[in-house]
Amino acid sequence: MAVQISTTETEGGLVIKVTGEVDLYSSPELRGAISKATSAAQSTVAVDLSEVPYMDSSGVATLVEGLRATSQKDGAFVLLTPSTSVMKVLQLARLNTVFDIRDCL
Amino acid sequence: MERHDIRVEIAADPKMLHVVRGLVRGYIEQVGVAADRADDVVLAVDEACANSIRHAYQGQPDARLELTLGAGPDVVEIQVRDEGVPASRQALERKPLAPPDPANLRPGGLGVPLIYQVFDEVEFRVGDTRGNRVTMRLRRRQPAAAWQERNSTEGKD
Repeated sequence: MAVQISTTETEGGLVIKVTGEVDLYSSPELRGAISKATSAAQSTVAVDLSEVPYMDSSGVATLVEGLRATSQKDGAFVLLTPSTSVMKVLQLARLNTVFDIRDCL
Repeated sequence: MERHDIRVEIAADPKMLHVVRGLVRGYIEQVGVAADRADDVVLAVDEACANSIRHAYQGQPDARLELTLGAGPDVVEIQVRDEGVPASRQALERKPLAPPDPANLRPGGLGVPLIYQVFDEVEFRVGDTRGNRVTMRLRRRQPAAAWQERNSTEGKD
């Protein structure tokens, strides 16, 4: 199952919209998109996870990498409206309190 | 596992994980695992298979892993086996998932803790030179009688 990823520049920062399952197969693509966005000179990088019906620990790891990369540059890394399934994984991994989770930028 | 319902050999290819999840979900629904636990079980089995693909086989294209699914009145048992590089014992230790320190986050290493978190019993066996086997057991919360009742009435309507 391929994942669709598009990055849009908005007033609030770069928004990476992810559509599809993020697992060991598709997470390298998300890692690439996040890495590209975080290295661009933007203060905020947001990942829209509303259309992600499934995410495993390899997907969670890419989000942790994004958070680390932006915090090194004093930027913000935001998770936008994670689906119920993504929230459950973050809670299971005890990472839900670490991320800045918002409904909009 | 003494008795199992399904044993399949799967190409150790990340593309197959989507298929594995569908199979596991279908099976645990069939044997009556509560819907609120299904998502977690599917995730944990995906993590076990992903570990075999990524760490044991390190991307070998022709490698295979074996998935076995079985259920009894009290327990659902799922096993993942590979013939790849044995995992280090340290990587398989049960470590509690503490609330993380945001200043000291590291990506990765989440798979094994998630497996421990989801299943009631987890047993890792690693070979001396090759092979890994993880057996994951889920204790049923509903009484066995209810499951047997449900099981025996299935297919009658």
